[in-house]
Amino acid sequence: MSEKKIRVLMSKPGIDGHWRGGIVVSRAIRDAGMELIFGGFQNVEQIVESAIQEDVDVIGLSIHSGAHFAYTQQIIDLLKERGVLDNFMILLGGIVPAQDFSKLKEMGVANIYGPGSMTRDIIEFIRENVKR
Amino acid sequence: MFDKNYLEKVREEKEKWEKLYESLKERDVKFVTDSEIPIKNLYTPLDIKDKDYVSDISFPGVPPYTRGVYPSMYRGRLWTMRLFSGHGTPEETNKRWKFLYENGETGFSAAVDALTFNGIDPTNKDAAAEVGTSGVPLYCIDSLFALTEDIPIDKISVALVVEPFTTAPVCSMYFNMAQMRGYDIKQLMGTTQNDILTMTVGYIPYKNSPPNHILRLACDFIEWTVAQKNVPKWHPINFTGYNYREGGIDAVQELGFVFASACSHIDNLIERGWKADDFVGRLAFHLSAHKDFFEEIAKFRAARRIWYKLMKDKYEVKDPRNLGFRFHVQTAGSSLTAQSPKINIVRTAIQALEANLGGCQSLHTNSYDEAICLPSEEAVLVALRTQQVISDETKIHNTIDPFAGSYFIEWLTDEVEDRVWKYIDKIQKAGTIDKALSSGFLYKEMRDAFHKRRMRLESGDEIMLGINKYPVPYDTVTDVFRTNKEAINIEVRRIEKLKARRDNAKLEKILDKLRNVCEKEENVMPTVMEATKEGATVGEVCNIYREIWGTWDPPLAI
Repeated sequence: MSEKKIRVLMSKPGIDGHWRGGIVVSRAIRDAGMELIFGGFQNVEQIVESAIQEDVDVIGLSIHSGAHFAYTQQIIDLLKERGVLDNFMILLGGIVPAQDFSKLKEMGVANIYGPGSMTRDIIEFIRENVKR
Repeated sequence: MFDKNYLEKVREEKEKWEKLYESLKERDVKFVTDSEIPIKNLYTPLDIKDKDYVSDISFPGVPPYTRGVYPSMYRGRLWTMRLFSGHGTPEETNKRWKFLYENGETGFSAAVDALTFNGIDPTNKDAAAEVGTSGVPLYCIDSLFALTEDIPIDKISVALVVEPFTTAPVCSMYFNMAQMRGYDIKQLMGTTQNDILTMTVGYIPYKNSPPNHILRLACDFIEWTVAQKNVPKWHPINFTGYNYREGGIDAVQELGFVFASACSHIDNLIERGWKADDFVGRLAFHLSAHKDFFEEIAKFRAARRIWYKLMKDKYEVKDPRNLGFRFHVQTAGSSLTAQSPKINIVRTAIQALEANLGGCQSLHTNSYDEAICLPSEEAVLVALRTQQVISDETKIHNTIDPFAGSYFIEWLTDEVEDRVWKYIDKIQKAGTIDKALSSGFLYKEMRDAFHKRRMRLESGDEIMLGINKYPVPYDTVTDVFRTNKEAINIEVRRIEKLKARRDNAKLEKILDKLRNVCEKEENVMPTVMEATKEGATVGEVCNIYREIWGTWDPPLAI
């Protein structure tokens, strides 16, 4: 294991303003000693560009608008197109029904955090599964 | 309120009781309210001995309005049952509204999608995936016709839940639609949320203009509808503490935010040359009914008294009709869980009771699937029936303000009031509400509040059944309501049809006039009324704001 800190991009695809979940998780990531890159509102191209430029390990997406399939697919497609999909762990948090989890995982999302998730579980998952 | 000798007797008896109590062990929990007000084991006449019934509590419909804003309250007229509702397309939302109306709903409330909220047209590819997913898309006047088709908008009030950045385009579409249908907008009843704090600290705005312009837009609407009497029966603003309360602040902060914000709006209109009496009677509020049963009831009672004092003492309001604090309540979405969703029905029923016992004018009850999707028809009917169980079966409204005179409730009402005054002071020290936003002060207050709440949940100090006590796996309602995937295509076609029909040269001239109005910082309403009548979309109007005033990235605190 390298000494380099785990780097996490926290991004909000689209225009929906439900931000609290993303901010709470961002704080937890920072408090856990990881490097937080807070992307804020970003479109698909900006998310992929930030992930590459910032050399992050994790792309964290916060989606509360119900548009989780659309945005996640667009981001994964662009990462594939750029040939960098395998460089990142993709995590998704927000209002995502449990019925959608298996399809999202098949698409390439490492894990999904719905309402009522605990930040400590997110941190633990990143630590144990990050690709280094 | 009590005779001195009698109080002495009470004190003696209480000392005896305290001896009994001392020998007993209390459970290992903190006895504090949700706002962390310490609560004693018992309240007696001693706790309210300095109160004066006539001046501090008095009668409903009479200053200081502690017991209610109208003399007869629910004996005269029940609260309005108004469910916040919208999804997919205006046609689908119209169908849902009719379903609710047929089942006894007595007011409508439009939940709009993220594009309508932010003034973005569906042709924007960064936003297209969100058309209709979190509310109804209302991008042009045709959408308003579809939304209200066959609905008697002259008889039933409609709340348009849009914020200052899109208030003028969306509401002008509504007013133009009503006029084209032959209604006199001077008789039209309804509410616009038009709340600067909702779209800055409640939600985070996407490419909206800076707060000073947003505050001015909110005040433009109050001025044009009510002060200038174009739509005099409208409630031009609904200070929506509910939305930031959902973000983690407590009951005291909720009232602090709404009153500080209200003062900034009143001051702005007074600077424009109006008197408070010209408009304050139409200002409305939207509060949360959260988890702490007694604290919420005390909060509603305290809010009426604070507003009365603000209006009378600070703004020297003369007309007694302008002193009353009228409010809508929404039960607390953030108290609900996706885990074991049926428990949400119980939570919502208890919170609805708080709102009714606190004397609300209008109420939204959340659906049990709130934590996971927009409400299904089955879930929304349970939510409406919850209010009807209270109104038709419980008999709670036989008498007005039944908690008055409770030693505890009167003490807690005072305690909440004292703390709110102090918090209003703290916010006002940060400047007018637009300055408290741009300096980042309110963002820090929000951050501190929701991290504290999160820590309480993670440590188990605050209990949520299904989450941190008796946890159940993330299991959702059987049927997850999904919005119409075709909405994007339907809405793009709607706008294309409108654009093909309208007189683009004429519209361009009106939009140029709007540029000029924005540069001079004059009231935008008359010109936006002209623009949307000619077929301007919400995005076209908001793009002019962006062009003239720029956009703003809020100073988020993590």
